[in-house]
Amino acid sequence: MTTLLAVKEDPVKIDVPVRRPSRAWRVLGYLALGVASVGVLLPFYWMVMSSLKTNNEVFTVPVQWIATDPVWSNYAEIWRKSDMTTWLGNTVFLAAVVTFLQVLTGSFAAYGFAKIRFPGRDVLFLAYIGTLAVPWASYMVPQFVMMTKLQLTDTLWSIVALQAFGALGVFMMKQFYETIPDELLDAARIDGMNEYGIYRRIMLPLSVPALASLALITLVTTWNDYLGPLLYLRSPDLWTIQIGLKSFIGQYNAEYALIMTGSVLSVLPVVVIFLAGQRYFVEGVATTGLKG
Amino acid sequence: MTTMPVRRRRWRNTAVGWSFLLPNFAGFVILTLVPVGLLFYYAFTEWDVFGGATWTGLDNFRQMARDTSFWTALTNTFYYSVFHIPLTLGVSLALALLLNKKLRGVAFFRTVAFFPYITSIVAIAQIWNMLLSPGFGPVNEVLRWIGVDNPPGWTTSADWSMPAVILVGTWRDMGYYMLLFLAGLQTIPAQLHEAALVDGANPWQRFLAVTLPGLRPTTFFVTVLITINSFKVFDVILVMTDGGPGQSTLVLSQYIFQKGFEENQFGYASAVSIVLFAICFLVTIIQFVVNKRRSE
Amino acid sequence: MKRSLAALTALLLAVSGCSGDPDDSEESGPITLTLAGWSLATTPEFKTLADGFKTSHPDITVELKEYDAANYDTQMIADLAAGKAPDVYVQKNLKNFYTYQNGKQLVDVSDVAGKLGPKVGGLSFYQVEGKTYAIPYRQDSWVLYYNKALFDKAGVKHPDGSWTWAEYAAAAKQLTTGLKAKGDKALGAYQHTWQSTSQGFALAQTAGASLESGNFAYLKPYYETALDLQTAGAQVSLGDATTNSLTYQAQFGKQQAAMMTMGTWYIATLLNQQAKGDADTFEWGIAPAPQQTKATTGTSATPVTWADPTGLGINPKISERKIAAAKEFLAYAASADAAKSLAGIGVTPADNSSVADTIFSLKGAPSDDLSKFTFATHDTKPENPVSKYTAPLQNILKDLHTEILSGATPIDAAITKAQDRAKNEVLSK
Repeated sequence: MTTLLAVKEDPVKIDVPVRRPSRAWRVLGYLALGVASVGVLLPFYWMVMSSLKTNNEVFTVPVQWIATDPVWSNYAEIWRKSDMTTWLGNTVFLAAVVTFLQVLTGSFAAYGFAKIRFPGRDVLFLAYIGTLAVPWASYMVPQFVMMTKLQLTDTLWSIVALQAFGALGVFMMKQFYETIPDELLDAARIDGMNEYGIYRRIMLPLSVPALASLALITLVTTWNDYLGPLLYLRSPDLWTIQIGLKSFIGQYNAEYALIMTGSVLSVLPVVVIFLAGQRYFVEGVATTGLKG
Repeated sequence: MTTMPVRRRRWRNTAVGWSFLLPNFAGFVILTLVPVGLLFYYAFTEWDVFGGATWTGLDNFRQMARDTSFWTALTNTFYYSVFHIPLTLGVSLALALLLNKKLRGVAFFRTVAFFPYITSIVAIAQIWNMLLSPGFGPVNEVLRWIGVDNPPGWTTSADWSMPAVILVGTWRDMGYYMLLFLAGLQTIPAQLHEAALVDGANPWQRFLAVTLPGLRPTTFFVTVLITINSFKVFDVILVMTDGGPGQSTLVLSQYIFQKGFEENQFGYASAVSIVLFAICFLVTIIQFVVNKRRSE
Repeated sequence: MKRSLAALTALLLAVSGCSGDPDDSEESGPITLTLAGWSLATTPEFKTLADGFKTSHPDITVELKEYDAANYDTQMIADLAAGKAPDVYVQKNLKNFYTYQNGKQLVDVSDVAGKLGPKVGGLSFYQVEGKTYAIPYRQDSWVLYYNKALFDKAGVKHPDGSWTWAEYAAAAKQLTTGLKAKGDKALGAYQHTWQSTSQGFALAQTAGASLESGNFAYLKPYYETALDLQTAGAQVSLGDATTNSLTYQAQFGKQQAAMMTMGTWYIATLLNQQAKGDADTFEWGIAPAPQQTKATTGTSATPVTWADPTGLGINPKISERKIAAAKEFLAYAASADAAKSLAGIGVTPADNSSVADTIFSLKGAPSDDLSKFTFATHDTKPENPVSKYTAPLQNILKDLHTEILSGATPIDAAITKAQDRAKNEVLSK
């Protein structure tokens, strides 16, 4: 351990070849990953297959793993029968606004919690974590009454208000900022940079992987949230994809194939975003700042 | 800056600190903290949610002590958490380490691991219930094929329903926490690993000496989160077993919903929430202290 | 910090304690009432009532507000607590009626009830201490649906209204073996996953049975029948039904089972699904639900069955003038006129004395006399008698249901356990 710390203080450039696992290990690794993926993807596979069946082929005993005669028209039909475009539009709007606000205010507050010492800070932080420990069902109604007083119910802003200021983002970003050494900040302070400048010029660029993870998690949570929109968004033109889908299931409860089609469609955008964005939370920008 | 008197500096720090908190804090106080705070009042009342709450002191808590269903729910919640927390922690950390490599196709596998978390919970319940169906489910078919004569009844059996739910819970959550671990892994400077390599450390030694200490803030965060979420578990159970068969998978969150919305005893439900809150908070504080001590 | 938080809390309590002001602004002129409904696109009964009312009361418009079918009560409780609930709202089931009535969220409508004829079924279920708090517009009842084609195929005689549960069980087994012999995989009976499929009948048909007594021995014979049919393979087990998400519509409609007890609302669903091709086309009929003793069987007796009514209640936070208008709407919903319109869309109205012809003239409906008798004649008891103990007791009995039918606990032990819980957790309070 001491040698490691010494290295940190004395950044001598050491040339170590990039580690590559041996061939046998790699094959074994791929094999394990392959088997695991099958286990993980099976339900999703079933969902996709069911979306291509007729209603009566979905629940059969024993399970029918392949749609023998794929019914592609299900995908056109759900568009015709439901208000998918509106739902998607609302959900995209909410996901974007909530994610933006959560990441922005969350990381901003986290900087205050992690890097500035002031009285009452720890108590406040505990209050934040504390609210995570209370089940929503128990304060759902008082919260609903509050939102009604604020005239927010039955507007998309209610969901923004509900999701954007959660404790999760603050907690996550604070933990992340704590890994960034204080010396780095002190150096910047001596250079005359104020706290806001440090946040913007040093912390934000350094925390891209964490910001990306937080953004993705917030996005998925907002996308998949069911109870919140259920309680707050009553007008059909405000419905999100989850609410729309649920009510669709309620109305066409025997149309299993269409229900599965809807489920596939609701997941798809998230998958695309994940695939596109996943390199941001692994490809390290993290080490660059620490060298200086 | 160094010449600034201590008091003025403290005042300045407080102002700056608050200015950072304020945008988030304003929304947080009004929309979360206040409703949650009210709970601590309602827990000592008899309240039908529509209006007047009657102060009843400790009655709700006395009732809880005698309420066998409450104790069943509490025990089940602990049962779930005791297995779900280490299992999920282990699996998600292992996944993160495995997928934090520059390998061909790793992006695909990362996405795959995250799939259960984004798939709709209704579809998950449907499919897992089918897979675990005692009579015709593929899982039991396989078990019979490899020679298990009497495979478990899973969600339809009082003894196996909880293991089944834990399994599905872990399966669903692992990708989420993997993501958090992945982000944490990026904060460990590559130089540390390189130095350890130069020192001749094997992978296990490197894991213990570099990765684990470097991950500590993340591990703390993830552990707290998994703990809280395990004690609060609700939706997986609701869609998989609805607490059954009997009360074999009844957990506190579900009990709170039942008492509040189904039986209209919101005061009592609030009191049970306070107990759940206290448990989570206590465990979090222990983790907080342990984390603090280790980091010193 | 602490003090300001306390002050904020106190302020909020004060704010949330007071209710919204009723809008008394207009003394005359047209009125618009709001009415809560669910799944409006596929549940036409609310619109039927609203439109029918408009023709006789042109200056009162009833506007529909959509709620989620599965989470209706959760949404309604939140809306009432926040003072933004509609003027008239449906009592979706009797189990939650107590919540609203006891929470003072329903106007006393005894005057409306007093003017209604004796033919309105389910009215008395909404009475608390002599006052009526909701008016039923719809009263289903549970009957036995049977597939004539499958009965003929198995060579089993059609139900004739004389069945007790023993005869029902015997027929289920005969059907299963008969169909198997013909190479048909359909089972004799299907019992849906709800606790009421056993408990509703037990409570209604057993003399002296009551939830509040805390004595649940009356459930035993009904669970013996169900378990017997499960073990004999004459009906799908509860475990297989829940894990495979079986739906009763598919089980009967796709001819997976030859008979099934179900509420009369399924008549409209089945007709609709047969017309659209979602269900197979086959001849079917309804017969009285199996009885506990021979005394209530046969077409000269009145079979005993059960179902909760669906009723309308008035939000007390609206103006006097609106309450008066709402009362007229409630009276209309329970009237013979509304009954006809409702029957026209396949709904079983609360006053079903004269609508059998309307229902059975719908396309695809059975035309035999037993079906008509079944629809018109029954003594329907509530599934959830109104009391503050009903909801918690039903939750205990739900656990008993899954415990017994999953085979986790023998019947006697499960009943003892439920009785202990009822005594300790509910009735002792």
